[in-house]
Amino acid sequence: MNLFNLPDLGIGVGLRTVHFGHILSRRPAVDWFEVLSENFMDTRGRPLWILDQVAERYPIALHGVSMSIGGTDPLDREYLRKLKALAERTRAHWVSDHLCWTGVAGRNVHDLLPMPYTEEALRHTAGRVRQVSEILERPLVLENPSSYVQFAASSMTEWEFLARLGEEADCGLLLDVNNVYVSSFNHGFDPRAYIDNVPADRVVQYHVAGHTNKGTHILDSHSDHAVAEVWELFRRSCRRTGNVSTLYEWDEDIPDFEVLHAEALKARAYREQPAAERLRVARGA
Amino acid sequence: MALDAPLGRVQRWMQQVVVHPGTVEEALAAARVKLAPSRIGQLILPSRTLTPAERVEIYQRMYPLRMEEALGVDYPALQRFLGGDGFRRLVRDYVAAFPSRSYTLNRLGDHLPEFIPTAPGLRHRAFCHDLARLELAMTEVFDEAETPALSPEAVAAVPPEKWPEVRLRPIAAFRLLAVRYPVNAYVASLGGKAQRPPRPGRQDAWLLVFRRDYSVRRLELTRPGHDLLSALAAGRTLGDAVTAAARRRGAAARHTQLHRWFRQWMASGLFAGLEEPEPSTNRS
Repeated sequence: MNLFNLPDLGIGVGLRTVHFGHILSRRPAVDWFEVLSENFMDTRGRPLWILDQVAERYPIALHGVSMSIGGTDPLDREYLRKLKALAERTRAHWVSDHLCWTGVAGRNVHDLLPMPYTEEALRHTAGRVRQVSEILERPLVLENPSSYVQFAASSMTEWEFLARLGEEADCGLLLDVNNVYVSSFNHGFDPRAYIDNVPADRVVQYHVAGHTNKGTHILDSHSDHAVAEVWELFRRSCRRTGNVSTLYEWDEDIPDFEVLHAEALKARAYREQPAAERLRVARGA
Repeated sequence: MALDAPLGRVQRWMQQVVVHPGTVEEALAAARVKLAPSRIGQLILPSRTLTPAERVEIYQRMYPLRMEEALGVDYPALQRFLGGDGFRRLVRDYVAAFPSRSYTLNRLGDHLPEFIPTAPGLRHRAFCHDLARLELAMTEVFDEAETPALSPEAVAAVPPEKWPEVRLRPIAAFRLLAVRYPVNAYVASLGGKAQRPPRPGRQDAWLLVFRRDYSVRRLELTRPGHDLLSALAAGRTLGDAVTAAARRRGAAARHTQLHRWFRQWMASGLFAGLEEPEPSTNRS
């Protein structure tokens, strides 16, 4: 169990518009749904009506892309107020966003822009995480980003930054194993070192996804099946964390729900087997 | 030697480069006040395969694609009419003039109709303006609150003699439009086909965009019908609104026409409530 006593919800998928009809009519046996917060914070129409029905039947976690926790503009209090209201409305198990910034000087470029991993950035981000957790009245969960640049001024690795941020701001970690793989390719580090050094007791959720290899770099496109190396990183991490809520992300060229769900369910083969099952396997039963 | 710049300065530099519509070299040159292009290697490390500028370029290339994708969701008919290149140019110029200042991309296109009259080099500007106004109304209606429609019982409870003084309140998901081109018919003609229908000729039209059962609908109106609904939406009494509309319609046709309109509008659930006049009080 993680430090926050957040439950293992099992294997989930993202709630996407193209699947609304299927989910409501077929009620698929999905363990839980991850909901992109910003898609539901302002609408009072059909998306919210759908979400209310989904939240009635399935566990929900909120996942955002616009908190800009590493940004240098003031925190958007109105955004946080609406986020908290949505979390309460959906009885979300946790609220997550990304370790990144999304804009500055009042502007939003709607991208998950990278942070330099410096002492200054750590102090700055930790202070904001504490503020957000206080406003949301729950620990914030942050996802490791995929990135395409590295700052020369960084004085620590990303996993060291995350570990120290967790300590200083008491936040949870959404470990995206595909992002680890993508960044390791782009920046030339060993992804196993990353996996082996993140604070395992702060991991409350996993993301697994596909990507696009452009030869010179890898794009975190969420557009395909996950490659074997990513699944192996997931297996390696599960050995450290035990079973943690796992979500398969597919956001481009989204397939039929059954294909998405089948891809997500591959996680079963890589997750830690429950103790009783491990014993049975060991005994050859 | 690493450049030890404050976090805010690094972010302002990077944002300026990422949102620049030109090449990455032009973007770096435009941001030279914050960082001389020759010093980029002191801020961004190279990878095994990419220079610092090429690495930043990955973000810079994704920015316009993301803006185009978001606006294409809200303005699919305009995108189809302008074609890929035309829409891309419009998006580039629009986001330079009206960059996103919201946490949600759902609001990115809010100013597109007001931008179109001054958009550089845009052809068929008036038609594009009307098309964008219709598509903005559709997205606004899509996200509006669901308000229950006025019940038949509530309507039946109003004594006939009081109707001229009644004010009808439309549902929240309700937008009226007066346009110069038949854009509703144009949008309806698009369907799932890939081809682009020709621009129709100029023809004034009046439209209502509303939502019922979480489905966005469009209703063609006559001009008097549009004026009548506009007057009601503005809070005028039914008597005042009908009188104003009848001036355009002509007295001979007004009774049957009005009856038909209201039957259709009530059946469509366009009104959420009504206010009857306050009963007069006798003072001694």
